[in-house]
Amino acid sequence: MNRRLAILGTLVVFVLGFLFLRGPTPHIAIKAEKLTDLGPIGITNTMITGWFVVALMVVLVFVATRKWELVPSGIQNFFEAALEAFYNLVTGIAGEENGRRFFPVVATIFFFIVFANWLSLLPGFNVVGWVGHETPEEEQIAAHGFVEGIVFEDLAIGPIDLHYIKPSSPGNLRVTNDSTVIKDDDPKGKDKFHEAEEEGKFVGELIPLFRGVNTDLNTPLAIAIVAFIAVEFWGISTLGFFTYGKKFINFSGPIDFFVGILELVSEIVRLVSFTFRLFGNMFAGEVVILMFTFLTPLIITLPFYGLEIFVGIIQAFIFAMLTLVFGVMAVSHHGDEHDEGHAPHGVPEADAVPEGAH
Amino acid sequence: MVPVFLEAEGIGALGINLPALVAQLINFGILLILFSWVFKRFLFPMLDERKKRIEEGLQASEEAKERLAQTETEVAAEMSRARQEAQGVITQAQQASARIQEEGRESARADSEQMIERARQEIQLERDAAISELRKEFADLTITAAERVIRRSLDRKAHGEIIEEVLAEAPRGDGQGSSQN
Repeated sequence: MNRRLAILGTLVVFVLGFLFLRGPTPHIAIKAEKLTDLGPIGITNTMITGWFVVALMVVLVFVATRKWELVPSGIQNFFEAALEAFYNLVTGIAGEENGRRFFPVVATIFFFIVFANWLSLLPGFNVVGWVGHETPEEEQIAAHGFVEGIVFEDLAIGPIDLHYIKPSSPGNLRVTNDSTVIKDDDPKGKDKFHEAEEEGKFVGELIPLFRGVNTDLNTPLAIAIVAFIAVEFWGISTLGFFTYGKKFINFSGPIDFFVGILELVSEIVRLVSFTFRLFGNMFAGEVVILMFTFLTPLIITLPFYGLEIFVGIIQAFIFAMLTLVFGVMAVSHHGDEHDEGHAPHGVPEADAVPEGAH
Repeated sequence: MVPVFLEAEGIGALGINLPALVAQLINFGILLILFSWVFKRFLFPMLDERKKRIEEGLQASEEAKERLAQTETEVAAEMSRARQEAQGVITQAQQASARIQEEGRESARADSEQMIERARQEIQLERDAAISELRKEFADLTITAAERVIRRSLDRKAHGEIIEEVLAEAPRGDGQGSSQN
Protein backbone atom coordinates (compact mmCIF):
# COMPACT_ATOMS: atom_id res chain seq x y z
CA MET A 1 0.00 0.00 0.00
CA ASN A 2 2.72 2.41 1.03
CA ARG A 3 4.81 1.46 -1.94
CA ARG A 4 1.90 2.05 -4.30
CA LEU A 5 1.32 5.44 -2.73
CA ALA A 6 4.98 6.30 -3.14
CA ILE A 7 4.98 5.29 -6.80
CA LEU A 8 1.77 7.21 -7.40
CA GLY A 9 3.12 10.28 -5.63
CA THR A 10 6.32 10.14 -7.66
CA LEU A 11 4.32 9.91 -10.86
CA VAL A 12 2.11 12.83 -9.84
CA VAL A 13 5.15 14.98 -8.98
CA PHE A 14 6.73 13.99 -12.25
CA VAL A 15 3.67 14.90 -14.31
CA LEU A 16 3.08 18.15 -12.43
CA GLY A 17 6.68 19.16 -12.96
CA PHE A 18 6.38 18.25 -16.60
CA LEU A 19 3.24 20.34 -17.01
CA PHE A 20 4.02 23.41 -14.94
CA LEU A 21 7.73 23.72 -14.35
CA ARG A 22 9.18 23.48 -17.80
CA GLY A 23 11.39 26.40 -18.64
CA PRO A 24 12.63 27.60 -21.95
CA THR A 25 15.09 25.68 -24.03
CA PRO A 26 18.32 26.15 -22.12
CA HIS A 27 20.80 28.41 -23.70
CA ILE A 28 24.02 26.53 -23.83
CA ALA A 29 27.16 28.52 -24.36
CA ILE A 30 30.69 27.20 -24.28
CA LYS A 31 31.96 30.65 -23.43
CA ALA A 32 31.34 31.98 -19.99
CA GLU A 33 28.72 34.71 -20.10
CA LYS A 34 29.91 38.22 -19.46
CA LEU A 35 28.04 39.93 -16.67
CA THR A 36 29.60 43.33 -16.67
CA ASP A 37 32.66 45.23 -17.74
CA LEU A 38 35.31 46.37 -15.33
CA GLY A 39 37.38 48.67 -17.45
CA PRO A 40 38.82 46.60 -20.26
CA ILE A 41 38.11 43.34 -18.43
CA GLY A 42 34.83 41.59 -18.90
CA ILE A 43 33.69 40.06 -15.66
CA THR A 44 32.18 36.66 -16.43
CA ASN A 45 29.93 34.56 -14.28
CA THR A 46 32.63 31.91 -13.89
CA MET A 47 34.96 34.56 -12.48
CA ILE A 48 32.32 35.47 -9.93
CA THR A 49 31.84 31.80 -9.10
CA GLY A 50 35.60 31.36 -8.90
CA TRP A 51 35.89 34.14 -6.34
CA PHE A 52 32.94 32.70 -4.48
CA VAL A 53 34.57 29.25 -4.37
CA VAL A 54 37.91 30.67 -3.22
CA ALA A 55 36.24 32.84 -0.57
CA LEU A 56 34.24 29.87 0.70
CA MET A 57 37.31 27.66 0.88
CA VAL A 58 39.30 30.35 2.67
CA VAL A 59 36.53 30.67 5.23
CA LEU A 60 36.34 26.89 5.64
CA VAL A 61 40.09 26.63 6.11
CA PHE A 62 39.98 29.46 8.61
CA VAL A 63 37.19 27.79 10.57
CA ALA A 64 38.95 24.44 10.48
CA THR A 65 42.34 25.75 11.59
CA ARG A 66 41.10 28.25 14.16
CA LYS A 67 41.32 25.74 16.95
CA TRP A 68 43.81 23.28 15.58
CA GLU A 69 44.70 20.59 18.06
CA LEU A 70 46.58 17.36 18.06
CA VAL A 71 43.45 15.50 19.07
CA PRO A 72 40.94 16.72 16.52
CA SER A 73 37.34 17.62 17.17
CA GLY A 74 34.46 19.08 15.23
CA ILE A 75 35.14 20.30 11.73
CA GLN A 76 38.86 19.68 12.16
CA ASN A 77 38.03 15.98 12.28
CA PHE A 78 36.51 16.07 8.86
CA PHE A 79 39.28 18.17 7.34
CA GLU A 80 41.95 16.04 8.87
CA ALA A 81 40.39 12.79 7.78
CA ALA A 82 40.15 14.03 4.19
CA LEU A 83 43.60 15.60 4.17
CA GLU A 84 45.29 12.71 5.89
CA ALA A 85 43.74 10.12 3.59
CA PHE A 86 44.88 12.16 0.62
CA TYR A 87 48.30 12.72 2.16
CA ASN A 88 48.76 9.01 2.69
CA LEU A 89 47.77 8.37 -0.89
CA VAL A 90 50.24 10.95 -2.19
CA THR A 91 53.12 9.75 -0.03
CA GLY A 92 52.23 6.17 -0.94
CA ILE A 93 52.80 6.99 -4.60
CA ALA A 94 55.60 9.53 -4.41
CA GLY A 95 57.39 8.47 -1.23
CA GLU A 96 57.64 10.46 1.97
CA GLU A 97 60.11 13.10 0.81
CA ASN A 98 58.65 13.88 -2.61
CA GLY A 99 55.12 13.36 -1.40
CA ARG A 100 55.54 16.19 1.05
CA ARG A 101 56.92 18.43 -1.68
CA PHE A 102 54.14 17.61 -4.12
CA PHE A 103 51.31 17.51 -1.64
CA PRO A 104 50.36 21.21 -1.47
CA VAL A 105 49.93 21.50 -5.24
CA VAL A 106 48.25 18.14 -5.69
CA ALA A 107 45.92 18.66 -2.73
CA THR A 108 45.01 22.19 -3.79
CA ILE A 109 44.14 20.92 -7.26
CA PHE A 110 42.04 18.11 -5.87
CA PHE A 111 40.15 20.09 -3.27
CA PHE A 112 39.61 23.13 -5.46
CA ILE A 113 38.22 21.08 -8.33
CA VAL A 114 36.05 18.85 -6.21
CA PHE A 115 34.73 21.78 -4.23
CA ALA A 116 34.00 23.85 -7.35
CA ASN A 117 32.37 20.91 -9.10
CA TRP A 118 30.10 20.04 -6.23
CA LEU A 119 29.23 23.64 -5.57
CA SER A 120 28.06 24.04 -9.15
CA LEU A 121 25.37 21.44 -8.47
CA LEU A 122 23.66 23.73 -5.99
CA PRO A 123 20.35 25.20 -7.03
CA GLY A 124 20.74 28.65 -8.53
CA PHE A 125 23.71 27.77 -10.66
CA ASN A 126 23.02 28.29 -14.34
CA VAL A 127 19.42 29.37 -13.83
CA VAL A 128 19.45 32.49 -11.70
CA GLY A 129 20.79 35.56 -13.43
CA TRP A 130 19.74 38.40 -15.59
CA VAL A 131 18.52 38.64 -19.10
CA GLY A 132 20.53 40.41 -21.71
CA HIS A 133 18.72 41.93 -24.68
CA GLU A 134 20.15 41.00 -27.92
CA THR A 135 19.57 43.85 -30.32
CA PRO A 136 20.88 42.76 -33.62
CA GLU A 137 22.78 45.11 -35.81
CA GLU A 138 21.59 45.53 -39.35
CA GLU A 139 24.73 43.96 -40.79
CA GLN A 140 24.39 40.94 -38.51
CA ILE A 141 20.88 40.44 -39.73
CA ALA A 142 22.13 40.74 -43.26
CA ALA A 143 24.89 38.25 -42.66
CA HIS A 144 23.10 35.70 -40.53
CA GLY A 145 19.42 36.17 -41.20
CA PHE A 146 18.61 36.73 -37.57
CA VAL A 147 19.60 36.35 -34.01
CA GLU A 148 19.00 33.04 -32.38
CA GLY A 149 17.91 33.25 -28.86
CA ILE A 150 15.16 32.73 -26.39
CA VAL A 151 12.13 34.93 -26.47
CA PHE A 152 11.41 36.67 -23.21
CA GLU A 153 8.43 38.63 -22.08
CA ASP A 154 8.94 41.87 -20.24
CA LEU A 155 6.04 42.28 -17.83
CA ALA A 156 5.55 45.48 -15.92
CA ILE A 157 4.51 44.82 -12.34
CA GLY A 158 2.13 47.27 -10.76
CA PRO A 159 2.41 51.05 -10.74
CA ILE A 160 6.10 51.24 -9.87
CA ASP A 161 8.76 50.71 -12.48
CA LEU A 162 9.50 47.07 -11.79
CA HIS A 163 9.78 44.42 -14.42
CA TYR A 164 9.60 40.70 -14.36
CA ILE A 165 11.31 39.02 -17.22
CA LYS A 166 9.46 35.87 -17.98
CA PRO A 167 11.05 33.27 -20.17
CA SER A 168 8.57 32.16 -22.77
CA SER A 169 7.55 28.60 -22.56
CA PRO A 170 7.45 26.72 -25.84
CA GLY A 171 3.76 25.98 -25.41
CA ASN A 172 2.26 29.42 -25.07
CA LEU A 173 4.32 31.72 -27.16
CA ARG A 174 3.17 31.89 -30.69
CA VAL A 175 3.51 35.24 -32.28
CA THR A 176 3.00 33.97 -35.75
CA ASN A 177 2.06 30.54 -36.93
CA ASP A 178 5.60 29.37 -36.29
CA SER A 179 7.40 29.22 -33.05
CA THR A 180 8.76 32.53 -31.89
CA VAL A 181 12.17 31.02 -31.48
CA ILE A 182 13.38 32.65 -34.62
CA LYS A 183 15.85 30.73 -36.65
CA ASP A 184 18.92 32.04 -38.42
CA ASP A 185 17.64 31.16 -41.83
CA ASP A 186 14.11 32.44 -41.42
CA PRO A 187 13.55 34.97 -44.23
CA LYS A 188 10.79 36.66 -42.29
CA GLY A 189 12.87 36.75 -39.17
CA LYS A 190 13.20 40.48 -39.05
CA ASP A 191 9.46 41.08 -39.28
CA LYS A 192 8.79 38.47 -36.63
CA PHE A 193 11.27 40.10 -34.34
CA HIS A 194 9.67 43.51 -34.65
CA GLU A 195 6.22 42.03 -34.20
CA ALA A 196 7.27 40.37 -31.04
CA GLU A 197 9.04 43.45 -29.82
CA GLU A 198 5.86 45.46 -30.19
CA GLU A 199 4.11 42.95 -27.97
CA GLY A 200 6.67 43.55 -25.26
CA LYS A 201 8.68 40.48 -26.10
CA PHE A 202 12.29 40.42 -27.05
CA VAL A 203 14.96 38.03 -27.99
CA GLY A 204 17.45 37.72 -25.26
CA GLU A 205 19.85 35.52 -23.44
CA LEU A 206 19.75 34.38 -19.86
CA ILE A 207 23.06 35.25 -18.26
CA PRO A 208 23.39 33.12 -15.14
CA LEU A 209 25.03 34.77 -12.18
CA PHE A 210 26.77 31.57 -11.18
CA ARG A 211 28.18 28.93 -13.42
CA GLY A 212 30.44 26.03 -12.57
CA VAL A 213 34.02 27.33 -12.82
CA ASN A 214 35.27 24.27 -14.61
CA THR A 215 32.73 24.73 -17.40
CA ASP A 216 34.78 27.72 -18.48
CA LEU A 217 37.91 26.63 -20.33
CA ASN A 218 39.95 29.29 -18.58
CA THR A 219 39.78 27.56 -15.20
CA PRO A 220 40.95 24.10 -16.26
CA LEU A 221 43.61 25.82 -18.34
CA ALA A 222 44.75 27.88 -15.36
CA ILE A 223 44.97 24.77 -13.17
CA ALA A 224 46.73 22.88 -15.95
CA ILE A 225 49.27 25.70 -16.28
CA VAL A 226 49.92 25.62 -12.54
CA ALA A 227 50.30 21.84 -12.65
CA PHE A 228 52.62 22.12 -15.64
CA ILE A 229 54.79 24.75 -13.97
CA ALA A 230 54.86 22.74 -10.75
CA VAL A 231 55.93 19.55 -12.55
CA GLU A 232 58.70 21.35 -14.45
CA PHE A 233 59.82 23.07 -11.25
CA TRP A 234 60.02 19.77 -9.39
CA GLY A 235 61.96 18.20 -12.24
CA ILE A 236 64.45 21.06 -12.52
CA SER A 237 64.91 21.52 -8.79
CA THR A 238 65.54 17.81 -8.28
CA LEU A 239 67.72 16.96 -11.28
CA GLY A 240 69.19 20.34 -12.15
CA PHE A 241 68.37 22.40 -15.20
CA PHE A 242 70.68 20.63 -17.65
CA THR A 243 69.97 17.08 -16.56
CA TYR A 244 66.27 17.73 -16.72
CA GLY A 245 66.61 19.59 -20.02
CA LYS A 246 68.42 16.61 -21.52
CA LYS A 247 65.15 14.77 -21.30
CA PHE A 248 63.82 17.04 -24.05
CA ILE A 249 66.83 18.18 -25.99
CA ASN A 250 69.33 15.41 -26.38
CA PHE A 251 72.02 15.45 -29.05
CA SER A 252 73.68 12.18 -28.07
CA GLY A 253 72.06 10.34 -30.97
CA PRO A 254 69.32 10.62 -33.54
CA ILE A 255 66.98 8.31 -31.63
CA ASP A 256 67.57 10.14 -28.37
CA PHE A 257 66.96 13.41 -30.14
CA PHE A 258 63.70 12.14 -31.58
CA VAL A 259 62.62 10.73 -28.20
CA GLY A 260 63.43 14.10 -26.65
CA ILE A 261 61.23 15.88 -29.15
CA LEU A 262 58.42 13.39 -28.41
CA GLU A 263 58.83 14.07 -24.71
CA LEU A 264 58.63 17.78 -25.34
CA VAL A 265 55.48 17.40 -27.41
CA SER A 266 53.89 15.11 -24.85
CA GLU A 267 54.69 17.68 -22.17
CA ILE A 268 52.76 20.34 -24.09
CA VAL A 269 49.97 17.96 -25.02
CA ARG A 270 49.49 17.20 -21.36
CA LEU A 271 48.45 20.79 -20.88
CA VAL A 272 45.78 20.44 -23.53
CA SER A 273 44.59 17.03 -22.34
CA PHE A 274 44.41 18.25 -18.73
CA THR A 275 42.37 21.25 -19.78
CA PHE A 276 39.95 19.59 -22.12
CA ARG A 277 39.42 16.48 -20.01
CA LEU A 278 38.19 18.49 -17.07
CA PHE A 279 36.36 21.05 -19.14
CA GLY A 280 34.68 18.45 -21.33
CA ASN A 281 33.46 16.39 -18.40
CA MET A 282 32.14 19.28 -16.39
CA PHE A 283 30.59 21.09 -19.35
CA ALA A 284 28.90 17.91 -20.53
CA GLY A 285 27.58 17.34 -17.02
CA GLU A 286 26.17 20.82 -16.92
CA VAL A 287 24.52 20.38 -20.29
CA VAL A 288 23.04 17.04 -19.28
CA ILE A 289 21.57 18.49 -16.12
CA LEU A 290 20.22 21.56 -17.91
CA MET A 291 18.69 19.48 -20.66
CA PHE A 292 17.09 17.01 -18.31
CA THR A 293 15.76 19.82 -16.16
CA PHE A 294 14.26 21.24 -19.32
CA LEU A 295 12.81 17.95 -20.49
CA THR A 296 11.57 16.56 -17.20
CA PRO A 297 11.97 19.12 -14.45
CA LEU A 298 11.46 16.71 -11.54
CA ILE A 299 12.51 13.18 -10.49
CA ILE A 300 14.33 12.07 -13.64
CA THR A 301 16.97 14.74 -13.10
CA LEU A 302 18.01 13.27 -9.76
CA PRO A 303 20.10 10.34 -11.05
CA PHE A 304 22.05 12.79 -13.14
CA TYR A 305 22.82 14.84 -10.07
CA GLY A 306 24.14 11.67 -8.45
CA LEU A 307 26.21 10.99 -11.52
CA GLU A 308 27.58 14.52 -11.47
CA ILE A 309 28.59 14.21 -7.83
CA PHE A 310 30.56 11.14 -8.80
CA VAL A 311 32.04 12.72 -11.93
CA GLY A 312 32.95 15.82 -9.93
CA ILE A 313 35.18 13.92 -7.50
CA ILE A 314 36.53 11.53 -10.11
CA GLN A 315 37.67 14.35 -12.37
CA ALA A 316 39.30 16.13 -9.43
CA PHE A 317 41.03 12.89 -8.48
CA ILE A 318 42.23 12.24 -12.03
CA PHE A 319 43.60 15.76 -12.38
CA ALA A 320 45.42 15.60 -9.05
CA MET A 321 46.74 12.07 -9.52
CA LEU A 322 48.02 12.77 -13.02
CA THR A 323 49.81 15.84 -11.73
CA LEU A 324 51.35 13.69 -9.02
CA VAL A 325 52.38 10.94 -11.43
CA PHE A 326 53.90 13.46 -13.84
CA GLY A 327 55.72 14.99 -10.89
CA VAL A 328 57.09 11.59 -9.88
CA MET A 329 58.19 10.97 -13.45
CA ALA A 330 59.81 14.38 -13.67
CA VAL A 331 62.00 13.76 -10.62
CA SER A 332 63.07 10.31 -11.76
CA HIS A 333 66.40 9.90 -13.57
CA HIS A 334 65.71 9.86 -17.26
CA GLY A 335 69.39 10.17 -18.12
CA ASP A 336 70.14 6.60 -17.14
CA GLU A 337 67.13 4.99 -18.64
CA HIS A 338 69.27 2.03 -19.59
CA ASP A 339 69.43 0.74 -16.04
CA GLU A 340 66.04 -0.71 -15.65
CA GLY A 341 63.99 -0.82 -12.52
CA HIS A 342 65.56 2.17 -10.81
CA ALA A 343 63.42 4.27 -8.55
CA PRO A 344 62.94 8.03 -8.78
CA HIS A 345 64.53 10.28 -6.18
CA GLY A 346 63.19 9.53 -2.76
CA VAL A 347 60.64 7.07 -4.04
CA PRO A 348 60.66 3.61 -2.56
CA GLU A 349 61.43 0.98 -5.17
CA ALA A 350 58.05 -0.69 -4.85
CA ASP A 351 56.19 2.57 -5.20
CA ALA A 352 58.01 3.82 -8.28
CA VAL A 353 55.62 4.69 -11.05
CA PRO A 354 56.32 2.72 -14.17
CA GLU A 355 57.34 4.54 -17.29
CA GLY A 356 54.48 5.59 -19.47
CA ALA A 357 51.93 5.41 -16.65
CA HIS A 358 50.02 8.19 -18.36
CA MET B 1 25.19 43.35 -26.96
CA VAL B 2 26.89 41.20 -29.51
CA PRO B 3 25.59 37.65 -29.56
CA VAL B 4 28.12 35.20 -28.24
CA PHE B 5 28.41 33.08 -31.31
CA LEU B 6 29.39 36.08 -33.41
CA GLU B 7 31.89 37.49 -31.02
CA ALA B 8 35.06 35.66 -31.74
CA GLU B 9 36.66 33.11 -33.94
CA GLY B 10 39.30 30.49 -33.22
CA ILE B 11 40.30 29.81 -29.67
CA GLY B 12 38.34 32.83 -28.50
CA ALA B 13 35.16 31.07 -29.56
CA LEU B 14 35.88 28.50 -26.86
CA GLY B 15 35.98 31.30 -24.35
CA ILE B 16 39.68 31.38 -23.69
CA ASN B 17 40.74 34.94 -23.02
CA LEU B 18 43.60 36.40 -21.11
CA PRO B 19 41.76 38.36 -18.40
CA ALA B 20 39.64 35.37 -17.41
CA LEU B 21 42.67 33.10 -17.50
CA VAL B 22 44.69 35.47 -15.34
CA ALA B 23 41.75 35.82 -12.96
CA GLN B 24 41.49 32.06 -12.55
CA LEU B 25 45.26 31.77 -12.19
CA ILE B 26 45.12 34.32 -9.41
CA ASN B 27 42.21 32.50 -7.78
CA PHE B 28 44.03 29.23 -7.89
CA GLY B 29 47.28 30.87 -6.84
CA ILE B 30 45.62 32.31 -3.75
CA LEU B 31 44.29 28.90 -2.80
CA LEU B 32 47.64 27.27 -3.49
CA ILE B 33 49.49 29.73 -1.28
CA LEU B 34 46.87 29.43 1.44
CA PHE B 35 46.88 25.65 1.31
CA SER B 36 50.67 25.48 1.26
CA TRP B 37 50.78 27.69 4.32
CA VAL B 38 48.08 25.71 6.11
CA PHE B 39 49.80 22.41 5.36
CA LYS B 40 53.18 23.69 6.51
CA ARG B 41 51.79 25.44 9.54
CA PHE B 42 49.20 22.92 10.70
CA LEU B 43 49.02 19.64 8.85
CA PHE B 44 52.66 18.60 8.51
CA PRO B 45 53.71 19.47 12.09
CA MET B 46 50.64 17.69 13.35
CA LEU B 47 51.32 14.62 11.23
CA ASP B 48 54.94 14.61 12.38
CA GLU B 49 53.94 15.08 15.97
CA ARG B 50 51.37 12.35 15.76
CA LYS B 51 53.80 10.04 14.03
CA LYS B 52 56.38 10.75 16.68
CA ARG B 53 53.90 10.07 19.41
CA ILE B 54 52.75 6.88 17.81
CA GLU B 55 56.35 5.76 17.42
CA GLU B 56 57.05 6.68 21.02
CA GLY B 57 53.96 4.86 22.10
CA LEU B 58 54.94 1.81 20.11
CA GLN B 59 58.45 1.94 21.48
CA ALA B 60 57.12 2.36 25.00
CA SER B 61 54.79 -0.56 24.56
CA GLU B 62 57.65 -2.57 23.12
CA GLU B 63 59.79 -1.69 26.10
CA ALA B 64 56.95 -2.47 28.43
CA LYS B 65 56.51 -5.79 26.71
CA GLU B 66 60.21 -6.54 27.06
CA ARG B 67 60.17 -5.47 30.66
CA LEU B 68 57.14 -7.62 31.25
CA ALA B 69 58.83 -10.60 29.64
CA GLN B 70 61.93 -9.96 31.71
CA THR B 71 59.89 -9.63 34.87
CA GLU B 72 58.03 -12.81 34.02
CA THR B 73 61.30 -14.63 33.57
CA GLU B 74 62.55 -13.25 36.86
CA VAL B 75 59.35 -14.18 38.58
CA ALA B 76 59.51 -17.66 37.12
CA ALA B 77 63.11 -18.03 38.26
CA GLU B 78 62.21 -16.69 41.68
CA MET B 79 59.27 -19.03 41.88
CA SER B 80 61.33 -22.03 40.91
CA ARG B 81 63.97 -21.06 43.44
CA ALA B 82 61.31 -20.61 46.07
CA ARG B 83 59.79 -23.91 45.12
CA GLN B 84 63.18 -25.61 45.43
CA GLU B 85 63.77 -23.98 48.77
CA ALA B 86 60.36 -24.99 49.94
CA GLN B 87 61.01 -28.47 48.72
CA GLY B 88 64.28 -28.46 50.68
CA VAL B 89 62.55 -27.18 53.77
CA ILE B 90 59.86 -29.79 53.43
CA THR B 91 62.44 -32.53 52.96
CA GLN B 92 64.36 -31.31 55.95
CA ALA B 93 61.20 -31.15 57.98
CA GLN B 94 60.25 -34.63 56.90
CA GLN B 95 63.68 -35.91 57.77
CA ALA B 96 63.61 -34.14 61.08
CA SER B 97 60.18 -35.48 61.85
CA ALA B 98 61.25 -38.95 60.84
CA ARG B 99 64.28 -38.61 63.01
CA ILE B 100 62.25 -37.31 65.91
CA GLN B 101 59.75 -40.10 65.45
CA GLU B 102 62.56 -42.60 65.32
CA GLU B 103 64.17 -41.13 68.39
CA GLY B 104 60.84 -41.07 70.16
CA ARG B 105 60.21 -44.60 69.22
CA GLU B 106 63.73 -45.60 70.31
CA SER B 107 63.47 -43.87 73.62
CA ALA B 108 59.99 -45.26 74.15
CA ARG B 109 61.25 -48.68 73.38
CA ALA B 110 64.24 -48.22 75.68
CA ASP B 111 61.98 -46.90 78.44
CA SER B 112 59.57 -49.69 78.08
CA GLU B 113 62.36 -52.25 78.03
CA GLN B 114 63.82 -50.65 81.08
CA MET B 115 60.49 -50.74 82.77
CA ILE B 116 59.93 -54.30 81.77
CA GLU B 117 63.37 -55.18 83.04
CA ARG B 118 62.74 -53.42 86.26
CA ALA B 119 59.37 -55.08 86.59
CA ARG B 120 60.96 -58.42 85.89
CA GLN B 121 63.61 -57.81 88.49
CA GLU B 122 60.96 -56.79 90.98
CA ILE B 123 58.94 -59.82 90.13
CA GLN B 124 62.06 -61.90 90.56
CA LEU B 125 62.76 -60.31 93.88
CA GLU B 126 59.19 -60.72 94.94
CA ARG B 127 59.23 -64.28 93.86
CA ASP B 128 62.52 -65.02 95.58
CA ALA B 129 61.20 -63.42 98.72
CA ALA B 130 58.00 -65.36 98.40
CA ILE B 131 59.88 -68.55 97.76
CA SER B 132 62.15 -68.04 100.68
CA GLU B 133 59.16 -67.16 102.81
CA LEU B 134 57.37 -70.20 101.61
CA ARG B 135 60.39 -72.33 102.22
CA LYS B 136 60.66 -71.08 105.68
CA GLU B 137 56.97 -71.67 106.24
CA PHE B 138 57.25 -75.07 104.72
CA ALA B 139 60.21 -75.98 106.93
CA ASP B 140 58.31 -74.95 109.97
CA LEU B 141 55.30 -76.83 108.85
CA THR B 142 57.36 -79.86 108.07
CA ILE B 143 58.99 -79.75 111.43
CA THR B 144 55.69 -79.23 113.11
CA ALA B 145 54.28 -82.11 111.16
CA ALA B 146 57.24 -84.31 111.95
CA GLU B 147 57.01 -83.37 115.58
CA ARG B 148 53.49 -84.41 115.58
CA VAL B 149 54.35 -87.64 113.86
CA ILE B 150 57.06 -88.59 116.14
CA ARG B 151 55.55 -86.93 119.16
CA ARG B 152 58.59 -85.62 120.37
CA SER B 153 60.49 -82.56 120.36
CA LEU B 154 63.09 -82.26 117.95
CA ASP B 155 66.10 -80.13 117.98
CA ARG B 156 64.55 -77.42 116.02
CA LYS B 157 67.81 -75.96 114.98
CA ALA B 158 69.44 -79.21 113.88
CA HIS B 159 66.41 -80.38 112.01
CA GLY B 160 65.95 -77.04 110.42
CA GLU B 161 69.39 -77.37 108.94
CA ILE B 162 68.62 -80.83 107.60
CA ILE B 163 65.42 -79.63 106.00
CA GLU B 164 67.20 -76.69 104.53
CA GLU B 165 69.65 -79.08 103.08
CA VAL B 166 66.94 -81.23 101.61
CA LEU B 167 65.11 -78.30 100.20
CA ALA B 168 68.25 -76.99 98.65
CA GLU B 169 68.63 -80.29 96.91
CA ALA B 170 65.00 -80.32 95.89
CA PRO B 171 64.05 -78.86 92.56
CA ARG B 172 63.47 -75.05 92.64
CA GLY B 173 60.15 -73.39 92.08
CA ASP B 174 61.44 -71.33 89.11
CA GLY B 175 61.83 -74.40 87.05
CA GLN B 176 65.58 -74.30 86.98
CA GLY B 177 65.84 -76.47 90.05
CA SER B 178 68.82 -78.49 90.85
CA SER B 179 67.90 -81.37 88.72
CA GLN B 180 71.49 -81.35 87.61
CA ASN B 181 72.44 -82.68 91.08
